[in-house]
Amino acid sequence: MSDGDIDKATVMQVAKAVFFSFIGIRKQGDLENDAVKITLLQAVIGGIVGCLIFIAGLILLVRIVTS
Amino acid sequence: MAVVQDVHGHVHGHPTGIMRWIGATNHKDIGTMYLCFSLTMLFIGGFLIMGVRAELFMPGMQIFEPEVFNSFTTLHGLIMVFGAIMPAFVGFANWQVPMMIGAPDMAFARMNNWSFWLLPVAASLLIGSFFVPGGAAAGGWTFYPPLSTQGGLGVDMMIFAIHILGASSIMGAINIITTILNMRAPGMTLMKMPMFVWTWLITAYLLVLVMPVLAGTVTMLLTDRHFGTSFFNAAGGGDPVLFQHVFWFFGHPEVYIMILPSFGIVSEVIPTFARKPLFGYSSMVYATASIAILSCIVWAHHMFSVGMPAAGQLFFMYATMLIAVPTGVKVFNWTATMWRGSMTFETPMLFAIGFILLFVIGGFSGVVCALVPVDIQVQDTYYVIAHFHYVLVSGSLFSLFAGAYYWLPKWSGRMYDETLGKWHFWLSMVFFNLTFFVQHFLGLAGMPRRIPDYALQFADFNMISSIGAFGFGLAQLLFVYIVIKCLRSGEKAPDMPWDGAKTLEWTHLPTPAPYHSFETPPVVKF
Repeated sequence: MSDGDIDKATVMQVAKAVFFSFIGIRKQGDLENDAVKITLLQAVIGGIVGCLIFIAGLILLVRIVTS
Repeated sequence: MAVVQDVHGHVHGHPTGIMRWIGATNHKDIGTMYLCFSLTMLFIGGFLIMGVRAELFMPGMQIFEPEVFNSFTTLHGLIMVFGAIMPAFVGFANWQVPMMIGAPDMAFARMNNWSFWLLPVAASLLIGSFFVPGGAAAGGWTFYPPLSTQGGLGVDMMIFAIHILGASSIMGAINIITTILNMRAPGMTLMKMPMFVWTWLITAYLLVLVMPVLAGTVTMLLTDRHFGTSFFNAAGGGDPVLFQHVFWFFGHPEVYIMILPSFGIVSEVIPTFARKPLFGYSSMVYATASIAILSCIVWAHHMFSVGMPAAGQLFFMYATMLIAVPTGVKVFNWTATMWRGSMTFETPMLFAIGFILLFVIGGFSGVVCALVPVDIQVQDTYYVIAHFHYVLVSGSLFSLFAGAYYWLPKWSGRMYDETLGKWHFWLSMVFFNLTFFVQHFLGLAGMPRRIPDYALQFADFNMISSIGAFGFGLAQLLFVYIVIKCLRSGEKAPDMPWDGAKTLEWTHLPTPAPYHSFETPPVVKF
């Protein structure tokens, strides 16, 4: 594996990091891995997308409950 | 121990006398001024509520005209939120953030000075409004229209005061963000920062996000009052409910602006006195960020009874209830930090444990209020008063006391009287619960807030609540005495009065902290 590969985080890794951030828990090992691989830009974009998905999920739940 | 070194090989002098304070650019001086200001405002706001509780001591009208009573409740809220709690946390940030990250000062020292000196101007406007024709604003601290579009000059003074306080907060927040992001010592990565610094970083972003919204809202209110617009005036095609939405878009994150730094202080105090590292540091960081994000999408839970579609009610109900998850993570982490720790119970620790216990009660009653059917019942009753005082008094204020006792030796170089400190805690604890716990019952029984008179069946609980309030108010005078005694004749504090403290201000600086600290940044290795 080259040095360039170490810095890349996949979409799934960013999604997992954001998901655990929303709950407020994260394993130390995973956190350290995130800190190395996920860039600030990825974290910010992931956070915004996560927020939108979260809001969409709530709206969907409300729709289901009220239908 | 790495102590302060002057790279230029000389000791900087600093101004003395009154100019030291008027032209202050030193973060410690400005922090001291913030703290003194907020303590003064705490007592002014407290004085107002003593008047309110005196009126409510028994049914019937005893002391005030209803309009004056309403002014007292309104100004109590505004002064406590904008004049006492928020500036107190900024004072803590000024003192602590540079020392905890190994920076010599705040990033924008002169802007820091201006941020502070705007506060007395705003406070003068607020307090002075009692003496203008028509008296002070009387529409509640949320100044909903139409009351706020109809009031007299006092409302205008309140609007300008809020403008000024908002500008001060925004400048303070920008300063804190810039300091934290740019001035950390080598080795102090973001994930090594003390929790107090993390919570303030996130709080500062919340401030930058929502204070302009408040500024916009009060500006629209001002133009409605004086320039013929009708943003909130139904007679001109406007909508008072719009005000409530925009206000609470600011107002709910504001609640977290007042509690996140509390979480930070408690997260410093508990590991020190449990002599264990904070359990789940990274999850605490995530939980803080998570709470901040969620706080921005729950505002309409303050308005369930105003009227909105069922789908809207459900959305805001679910979102609000979800805040309990990251908040619960924090409470569990604090508890786990204490678990099997070598705990001692000095005054800061007592206030921190009192914070956890009572904040949890406030949190639970918050979840109760989040439920739409329940909230429809308890809206605008004393249940809500009890809820948010459990969050803001036993939450924010208790954590401020915890932080004050914890860092007072570092700030002053002297120890406070531990026995008196414990008396302060226990008196506060007992009288606080005496004041506010019974208000849950009053609210559930249907007593509305913001009224100077009430039905006979509420008499006993109101009397208990008033006695508790007077006791709580008097107990806070003890705090002033303890601080003065500490500064005048307290024992000299050792460099490390708390053997469990691990942050830079304790490990890398002498006690008291020198006027200029970390001119040579420390290298952080842990």
